[in-house]
Amino acid sequence: MRSNIRIFIFIIILGLVTSALLIGADALTLDRIEANRQAELQSTILDAYGIDYTFGNISTVFIERVDVVTVDDYTFYVNQDTSAVSFVFEGSGLWGPIIGIISLEADFETILSITILQQQETPGLGGRVAERRYLDTFAGVKMVPVIVITRAGADGPNEADAITGATGTSTAFETILNDSYDAHRSAWLSVQNGG
Amino acid sequence: MNWIRMKYTRWFNISKDGLVKNNPVIIAVLGICSALAVTNKVENAIAMGIGVTFVIMASSMTVSLIRNFIPGKVRMVTYMVIISTFVILVQMFLEGFFPNIAKALGAYVGLIITNCIVMGRAEAFAVKNPVRYTVIDGFASGMGYTYVLVLIALVREVLAFGTILNVQVMPDTWPGWVVMAMAPGGFFVLGILIWIIRELSNNYDVAAQA
Repeated sequence: MRSNIRIFIFIIILGLVTSALLIGADALTLDRIEANRQAELQSTILDAYGIDYTFGNISTVFIERVDVVTVDDYTFYVNQDTSAVSFVFEGSGLWGPIIGIISLEADFETILSITILQQQETPGLGGRVAERRYLDTFAGVKMVPVIVITRAGADGPNEADAITGATGTSTAFETILNDSYDAHRSAWLSVQNGG
Repeated sequence: MNWIRMKYTRWFNISKDGLVKNNPVIIAVLGICSALAVTNKVENAIAMGIGVTFVIMASSMTVSLIRNFIPGKVRMVTYMVIISTFVILVQMFLEGFFPNIAKALGAYVGLIITNCIVMGRAEAFAVKNPVRYTVIDGFASGMGYTYVLVLIALVREVLAFGTILNVQVMPDTWPGWVVMAMAPGGFFVLGILIWIIRELSNNYDVAAQA
């Protein structure tokens, strides 16, 4: 009985100490992590628009050159010079969430560039989805009527190549792109018509 | 201190155990999961090695500090809680201060929790030894793990991508063995490495031969 009470007290103390440590570390790093995420998002969008920036002035350049438009729950990042539009897309990959940024030209149909911010696909197979070399093949592909990621070799204006050996990831990526494009498109059109 | 006498010091023997005699990957065959998963690039192997080394040292130290208070029945759970805490701390630290490294390692930092070497050292060494020796032991085991990972990664990265640390070393015509970038390549290289080293050092499982 006594030993059970000892175990109980030990576990309570262990839990309290480790939680306190984690809460403390979280409070210390939260702002930095948030700032890093913000900087990553902004630099990715600036890269897609081909705007020059240095590590120190990312947010200044971003505020000067990019408009942020929010409709309902959707956020759009609009290039002031070319009217190209970017938004964040998100969905389930094969193993975990895939989060990325897609930039479209002013017609809101042609892909300018895609960048993956976060993914947990199989390294060397599905993980290729985040590689620049693969994502560059999406430039110029149309999102309408739907984008098709095909294993047969892309030749239509709305077709892109799948990743060899990663059919699951390719199919998931196609679904994510189409779903988030549809959702964002209606929001974007309502801005265009309304304003 | 001269060489002969150094061989009889405790810290020398602990280091030798971790690095060579009881190398966690080659001899004890622990931590194989991550040894297969992150060894397709040398830089990943190095970062993973440093992360694991830190977690082994920190968690072994903590376990050793409180070893007289840990009730025997819940010691495994205690190790897990301590190890998880340190792994999450490492993850937060990397995301806060080194976002690029955190991005490159992705999910693998979290996987340090499941690395058997960390738990193995806590149970086999830290829980019955004073703090100063557990630090040496943790460092030696961590480094023993790291250099094996780097060795495997060297072979795999050269064969799969023709590069070392992203610097081109093979001629442009090198086709790149896709299999080496994937899990089977890891199995082949690790298996061959363990075989060669055990053959050279005559380290056989005696019971298995009988």
